[in-house]
Amino acid sequence: MAARPRPSSDDAREALRDAMARLAAGDQAALEEIYRATRVKLFGITLRILGDRKEAEDALQDVYVNLWQRADRYDPTRASPIAWLAAFARNRAIDRLRTGKVRGGAVPVEEAAPLPDESPLADALLIDAEQAAQIHKCLGGLDARTQGHIRAAFFEGKTYAQLAEAADVPLGTMKSWIRRGLQRLRACLEASEAA
Amino acid sequence: MSGPEQTPEDGVTRDDPMIAAEWALGLLEGEELLAARGKYATDPAFAWRKEWWDDWFAPLSDAIPGAEPGDHVWDGIAARVSAAQAAVSTEPSAPAANVVELQAKVRRWQWVAGISSMAAALALALFLSSPLGSPVAPPVQVAAAAPMVATVPVGDSGLRLDVTYIPDSKRMVVGAIGLTPDGVHDHELWLVPADGTPLQSLGVVKPGEVRSMELPQAVTAKLGDGASLVLTREPIGGKPEGKDAGPVVAKGAFTRV
Repeated sequence: MAARPRPSSDDAREALRDAMARLAAGDQAALEEIYRATRVKLFGITLRILGDRKEAEDALQDVYVNLWQRADRYDPTRASPIAWLAAFARNRAIDRLRTGKVRGGAVPVEEAAPLPDESPLADALLIDAEQAAQIHKCLGGLDARTQGHIRAAFFEGKTYAQLAEAADVPLGTMKSWIRRGLQRLRACLEASEAA
Repeated sequence: MSGPEQTPEDGVTRDDPMIAAEWALGLLEGEELLAARGKYATDPAFAWRKEWWDDWFAPLSDAIPGAEPGDHVWDGIAARVSAAQAAVSTEPSAPAANVVELQAKVRRWQWVAGISSMAAALALALFLSSPLGSPVAPPVQVAAAAPMVATVPVGDSGLRLDVTYIPDSKRMVVGAIGLTPDGVHDHELWLVPADGTPLQSLGVVKPGEVRSMELPQAVTAKLGDGASLVLTREPIGGKPEGKDAGPVVAKGAFTRV
């Protein structure tokens, strides 16, 4: 195997995978370990989507309590633990956004913390680099407009209706743009899997 | 889920993998979101695709700066976990390793008993069949509580009903995709309460459609664990007043997602 670029990151991922396995086996102490290792990243995600500290903290609590209740849902053969947790946290935050309990929705881009496009934080627990490169490559292959809308959906939790309104186009047009983009994205990602 | 939906301008087919992508991205709301959640619980191919998209999108979140939550967040988590465990430990013969299952048991809702045969006045709202350009329906309150799902397989046909009940919103989503009307019968869906009280009609199933309905209290009160569903074959329009229900052609039970 080639030299590992980030041994500490690999170690962190292994430690997390191990803690997730122990949690699934009923070891409650593992939950705190997982919390310590992932709270900063996951809170960043819920805060980004919900745009409100209190809401984001409530969502974060739900994430870990839920994780404790259903740790067995994580399939270690499938996704890296941090990728799975990141998706889990984002999904919970989006669910909360869609319940209508949250007044505003995501922070407008200009108010939100700056969002680096290509340079992930050095100290963060990172998701698989190879996989990251591939999704960025496939997204980058879309036209700038479609890419922008897909990114706005991902990072700001926007719905079709909100995206259409922001872009001042009919809802059907926005759906069409994004679906075409998603179709191309899927083809690109599947091609990378087959390779 | 609706049948494949064509996007007007380019003919992109809105098949299940596309809906899974839209959901993973967070674009869905209201009843489309409810239907997707129900489908996730009952359709392994759909669930697989949703997770496929989640996995692929996940690395994008590396671009989101981290943030430090307040200390009280962990305190809250620890308190909720130990409260749940205290409740669990009062159950006799609880094997320690089985925390997850017992936890679910503790969280089980206390269903209020209440009897009524009224169910005919269910307002069946069509959705998902609206044209793309039409205004979006106001988002339905999506439950924080776990939805309940039931799959009702129809014979050996491979066809089935997907039924999802969302406790907070008191809404039920019934998907009958793939079923086709035979022109002489309708099928009526019935709730069979676990407590042995009479069946309650959930209305006539519309083949090929996904319908969402708000359930009256009389029905939701019976929708506890162990409640099951049966599908009967009836004349067009459903069971005639004063007549016995037709033969049961399919059945299924609710489980918590």
